[in-house]
Amino acid sequence: MNRSCYCLWDVQSTDRSAAMAELLCSDPGLGEHTRELLLRALEAREHAGATLVSPGISMPHCRSLLVEDFIVILGRSRKGVPWPDEPARLIVLFVSPVKPSGPQEHMELIKHLATKISESGQKLFKARSEEELAEMLGFRLAGSGTDEPGS
Amino acid sequence: MNQDLEKLISLHDLDIMILDLGRTDILQQEVRLGLSPDMALTELTTMREQLASTIRKRWMSLYAQITARYDNAVVPVIMQRCSGCFTRLPTAVSSADDRNEQVRTCPTCGRIIYWAD
Ligand SMILES: [Zn+2]
Repeated sequence: MNRSCYCLWDVQSTDRSAAMAELLCSDPGLGEHTRELLLRALEAREHAGATLVSPGISMPHCRSLLVEDFIVILGRSRKGVPWPDEPARLIVLFVSPVKPSGPQEHMELIKHLATKISESGQKLFKARSEEELAEMLGFRLAGSGTDEPGS
Repeated sequence: MNQDLEKLISLHDLDIMILDLGRTDILQQEVRLGLSPDMALTELTTMREQLASTIRKRWMSLYAQITARYDNAVVPVIMQRCSGCFTRLPTAVSSADDRNEQVRTCPTCGRIIYWAD
C-alpha cells in the first residue's frame, strides 16, 4: 500500500463525532462544507454500528462522492475517545472515493488495515512519532516526502 | 448549500454504503475486523428510508430516474465540467454565485450536480 495519510498526534475531543470532526480538520484539502457532509456520512456509519475493530482502535470509514481520492487520517488520543462504550486511543479514519474501481480499492484498503492491525496489535500504541505510526500501518505521512495525500 | 441538495448528497452516500455492505468481499473484510456489517446494513437501510421521507417528492423522483440510468446520480463539478459525463458546463451556470443554492442538473446527462468548496 503506497498511500499517504495525515496524522493528528494528540486528539483533544472527548466524544466520537467531535473526534471525527477534529480529524477531518487536519486535512487541509477539505473545505468546510465538504467536511460537514463527510462527517454526516461517517456519523451515519457509526450510528449503524460502532467501528471499534480492536481494543482501543476505531476505524470510522465510508465511501463518499465528496472525495476525489482516498483520505486517510490517523488520530491518537492519550485519554481515549468513548467509541461509544469503549475508549479508542487510536482512530484510523478513511474515506474512499466513488469511481468504478472504488469498491474494489475500498475493500483492499480495509483488508490492508485488518492485516496491519492484526500484525502490529498493541505495538501501535507504542509508536513514538506520527511517522512511525503511519509506517506501522503501511502509510506515508503526507508532506514527509514527495507524495500527495491519497496517492 | 440548498438543504435539498445536501440531503440528496447524504442520500447518495448512504446508498453507496448500503451497496458496499451488500458486496461479499467488503462484507468479509468487515467481519474480519470484528464489525457487524449485517446489522449495520439493516440500520443504514432504515436511515436511508427516514432521510428519503424528508426529501421532496420531485427530487426523489428525479434521483430515482437518474439512478435507473447511472451509478452516480449526484456528481461534483470539477474544473467547470460535470464529473459524470465530463461535459463543460455553460459559464452562466458555473459562475453563478448561488450555484449550490438550488438543485441543478447537468444539461447534457441530467445528473444532479454540485460545486465542492
Ligand atoms: Zn453530465
